[in-house]
Amino acid sequence: MNYNWLSILFRFVLLVALQILVFKRIPFEYGILSYSHIFIYPLWVMLLPFKTPKSVLLIAGFFMGMTIDIFYQSYGVHAAALVFSAYIRDFIFRIIEPDIGYDLDEPFNIKRLGVIWYLSYSALFLLLHLFVYFSVEVFSFVYFYEIMVSTITSLLFSLIIVFIFVLIFNPKS
Amino acid sequence: MRNLLLLIAKYGSTIVFILLEVICFYIIISFNQSQGEIWKHSTNLLSGNINERVQNTSDYFALEAINDSLLTENAKLLESIINYRVFSKENEFQDFESLDSNLIEYKFVPARITNKTFNKRNNYITLNKGLQDSVKIGMGVISSNGIVGIVKNVSNHYSLVMSILHSQSKISAAIKNNDFHGTLVWDEMDPKKIKLISLPKHASVNVGDTIVTSGYSTVFPYGIEIGKVHDYAVETNEDSFEVEVDLFNDIPAVTHAYIIQSIKLEEKNEIESEAEDEL
Repeated sequence: MNYNWLSILFRFVLLVALQILVFKRIPFEYGILSYSHIFIYPLWVMLLPFKTPKSVLLIAGFFMGMTIDIFYQSYGVHAAALVFSAYIRDFIFRIIEPDIGYDLDEPFNIKRLGVIWYLSYSALFLLLHLFVYFSVEVFSFVYFYEIMVSTITSLLFSLIIVFIFVLIFNPKS
Repeated sequence: MRNLLLLIAKYGSTIVFILLEVICFYIIISFNQSQGEIWKHSTNLLSGNINERVQNTSDYFALEAINDSLLTENAKLLESIINYRVFSKENEFQDFESLDSNLIEYKFVPARITNKTFNKRNNYITLNKGLQDSVKIGMGVISSNGIVGIVKNVSNHYSLVMSILHSQSKISAAIKNNDFHGTLVWDEMDPKKIKLISLPKHASVNVGDTIVTSGYSTVFPYGIEIGKVHDYAVETNEDSFEVEVDLFNDIPAVTHAYIIQSIKLEEKNEIESEAEDEL
């Protein structure tokens, strides 16, 4: 038990608070950006320890998603997207596995895995999460173009914020 | 059982994943207006399509019942039209409104044709109504386009009709509007043509005139259209016309018919047979 349950709980509260109190209030009112969102809450599932059982990961994703949904009043949409993201987390790990491999007992060690690895992990995870989120929100693939535009713009903003967050609160410590 | 447990152990997380996603989508559909509406619309499209197919199929099976009910309805309409017509001819100076059930002279029984011939010298038609529907020998049979024949034999559920395409068929008919009348006979082998004989020589006949039933026999009420005058000539050695008539009714194609019950038939037969006895 290297990782700290308390820090995980603290991160949950912090991420929900940031999402609801800060990023939910940022208005995007410039044409193509109108439907963009900054999502930081997926970081919680992203940073859960390597060895977390998959079922626990899925339930954690559902729990986090529903919490956000309650504040966004979009019941089930964030949850559906985050459960999906949690399910494919393992596959993302496998795709971008570094040459040195993962240290399964250690939590995420940015210094060990490198900034590039961390960026590509966040980008893939957020890309899939946002794509599923916007698809479920619109609930129809008729609007495929709008879904793609929203996904890409939201991805850029969210990636910057997620990166800054990790730089400030290095999860390892 | 062991295999099932192994399966759950192996794919447990996938099962949890599917379960959670189903819950999420259930929540999305029930608590979000726009997604719920899209869901309802899509499922309605699907179920509407299926429902329509089921409806079409069941409609097809119901066609027979629908046909029968339409036939009954038609019989009622025909009944009232013909009774009005007969009544107005007999009471020219009274108004139609006074027609009530006591004055109804003719009743109609709808029937389906179950068997028929039309290419012999003597043709018969079988109907699916008999004694149980109070069909009696001597009643007239018409279809929507004209006369068909006269009932010759009745069993409990069926009746045999002597078609107008029969060598012994003799039906009284008249020229519409001037009431000169003659007898319809069928002496050719053409089911579309019939002959009107014994028409007085002084009668005015024109090609194209409509031939209707005369109403003299009570078998057929007055005014049922039979056909159009095709050609006419003076009968050899006789003082009468022989008129060739094109039938309106296409007897080989008829599928439904109405049997005409004349309420006054028995009364009329009685008085006429008395007269014959006296002679």
